[in-house]
Amino acid sequence: MKRNRFGYLAVVMAVAAGLACSAPAVAGETYQLGLSLAITGPTSDAGNPYSKGVEDYMRFANDTGILGDAKIDCPIRDDMYETAVSKRNFEDFLDQGMIFFLSYATGANQALAPDFTEVQIPVIPASMDSSLMKASPYIFLPIASYSHQYVGVAEYVAANHKGDGTAKVAAFIHPSAFGRAPLADFEAAVAAGLKLDLVEVVEHGKDLDNSALLQRLASKGVQYVLCQTVQSPVATLLNDAQRLGMTAKTFGEPGKITFMGAHYTGGNDLIALAGTAAEGFHWTTSYRVTSEKGPWTDWQLDMAKKYGRDDKTANSHNYASGMMAAQVAVEAIRRTREADQKVTKETLYETLNQMNGDKVFTSLAAVGPVTYSTTDRMGVDNVQLYVVKDGVFRSVGQPFKPKYLK
Amino acid sequence: MSANRFFATGNFFTSYREEQRIFRTHLDRGLFILFLACLFAWPLFFDASNRTMLVINNILIAVVAVYGLNLVTGFAGLISIGHAAFVGVGAYTVAGLAWAIGEGHPLIVHWWPLMILAAGGMGAVFGAFVGLPAMRLKHLYLAIATLSFQMIFTWTIKFMPTFNQGQMIPVGRVVWIGGEVGRKVHYLFWYYAILVVAVICGLMVRNLLRSRYGRCLVAVRDNDRAADAMGMHPGLTKVYAFTLAGFFAGVAGALHTYMFRGAGFESFTLHHSITYLAMAIVGGLGTLPGSLFGPAAIYTLELQMEHLSEWSGTFLPDSFNLATALRPLGFGLVIVLFLMFEPRGMANWWRICRSYVKLWPFRY
Repeated sequence: MKRNRFGYLAVVMAVAAGLACSAPAVAGETYQLGLSLAITGPTSDAGNPYSKGVEDYMRFANDTGILGDAKIDCPIRDDMYETAVSKRNFEDFLDQGMIFFLSYATGANQALAPDFTEVQIPVIPASMDSSLMKASPYIFLPIASYSHQYVGVAEYVAANHKGDGTAKVAAFIHPSAFGRAPLADFEAAVAAGLKLDLVEVVEHGKDLDNSALLQRLASKGVQYVLCQTVQSPVATLLNDAQRLGMTAKTFGEPGKITFMGAHYTGGNDLIALAGTAAEGFHWTTSYRVTSEKGPWTDWQLDMAKKYGRDDKTANSHNYASGMMAAQVAVEAIRRTREADQKVTKETLYETLNQMNGDKVFTSLAAVGPVTYSTTDRMGVDNVQLYVVKDGVFRSVGQPFKPKYLK
Repeated sequence: MSANRFFATGNFFTSYREEQRIFRTHLDRGLFILFLACLFAWPLFFDASNRTMLVINNILIAVVAVYGLNLVTGFAGLISIGHAAFVGVGAYTVAGLAWAIGEGHPLIVHWWPLMILAAGGMGAVFGAFVGLPAMRLKHLYLAIATLSFQMIFTWTIKFMPTFNQGQMIPVGRVVWIGGEVGRKVHYLFWYYAILVVAVICGLMVRNLLRSRYGRCLVAVRDNDRAADAMGMHPGLTKVYAFTLAGFFAGVAGALHTYMFRGAGFESFTLHHSITYLAMAIVGGLGTLPGSLFGPAAIYTLELQMEHLSEWSGTFLPDSFNLATALRPLGFGLVIVLFLMFEPRGMANWWRICRSYVKLWPFRY
């Protein structure tokens, strides 16, 4: 009996010793981040590649040791575009000790903004709604706001319109604040001296045919349609315009309509939806696109390949968008560590606010540097105009800053 | 009735009044009080996370909303697929006022119990208005009328600047004895507030159902012509069913606004109306316990499907996006299975359990 007891003890000790030896050596710190976004439900066509961009960049950061021996843990949760679920995810992440939050929809960010301020946690949203910067001083937009992109398109029209008189434009917008807020800024820009004649504002529904709308716009002499919505209604509009022979193949082609849009109107998904009807569509964003080869786009495609992503994801600007959000967060952590500070919500917030002057962060994913300060929480100020040529987006000119918005 | 009302096991009613008692036996009452005591006491002994409290609060708010839906659809037999809009009316009563007079106005943050009642009242007014077609319409036609209210509500909120065009309208932190309810105790405070409201509303429904007005609802559901012949007014009965449903939904909406510290249109869409209906069906249409079980079951299912989806995403091939499809698929499957195999909902399981306990240990 006694021997048995010793035998049992020996086994327990051996197992304990084995477990102790197999445990990893004490690693560096792990920083807790969190991402809540729509992987299913409305806007998941953008949320899905965005989540993969964040996931891949975090994996890359951990694999390559950007933060030395420290690691990042960034759980990704699907909120189905529901504010209540976003809030639950946010609280869950906070319970886990989150120090940096990556968020998604405009509505959820507005709902959570008071919490961001109270908890004092820095946040990078996927939404570029300018109202978010007013909602909480802890929200940092990664790139130019929707308003900047929309007014940027309008400024391009005003500057390059060749016809007689003032260019006649129509606004084709999403029937929500997402569409209306940039329109209000555009109207303010017109009031401030931007030389454009806004003939009609169309809040689109779920129409499958826009023939009547297009005929009406043509009868009013509209030369440019500026879209601020998502891809599918734009694709329907473009298809109908092509069928009616109204689409301008070059910018400002006389007697035709030039279609243009901001951020979520474009991207490869638009080309997939509209096909040849997308030819000549002008689009602004602050991100680089893979059809314009460069160091970043090569790297983006390599990363997608490395982590087993399909072509659609690899070439999506939303994938680049997710990567850049993750990049900014990781860079903030790296700089805080470099300054020998403890990485907390508070120090990360300070670090982000110091990203200006000689401390700007240059992410090649975008067409300009990321700059933040206590008074400027819009990362990349520049926008780039692209146009669809032979089924891909091509750059038009150089990146620029809209003049009519501050 | 047994001489000892603690251990009575059968239905020994000797008067109609006895049958209408809220609690059939002292044991029933004792267990209910014990259950309530546990609901009030558990947060004192367990340190629940904010996420857990948020989930529980959501369930309790849905319970209040489903009381209303169960009255109109379960007891009165009038299909309503615009219930989230009624909840939205209550939510926007508080949020709209906050938008107009300021989120920190004393009326919003000091007089919040009054605001919750006012939101219920506003819900009732809209309920009565939407219920008017019920005097002429039945079945699917009435369902379409409620659906149209849902559409009108969504459009109105998204279009009108009075409601910030559907964007989030913030509401300030409420004040209670001892000052402002801070973030640290926010969810706990609202747990107690919502629990009190849910218990009061539950007792109201229970009392209603044992009154002639409650019996009218059931009579009109079972056969409105027969009810008419018996001297009831089917049309008015249907209108007040909608009024009551609107009241409970309005109260739930106000609680939602205060708990989430604001209101945005995306919490009151058709999808949410369908979810409320699913809660009522899974819980058990036309039963009071069903209003409790349904929300709890649907929220638990949602969380479990979320975990399953997240876990399966670790090994399922990325290219198929199967993990993301699991959640809606699993959710839909459960609803269909319930409709096929247990149309009386979880309340029927509760009834079976109670019957078993009533028989044990063979006191008859």
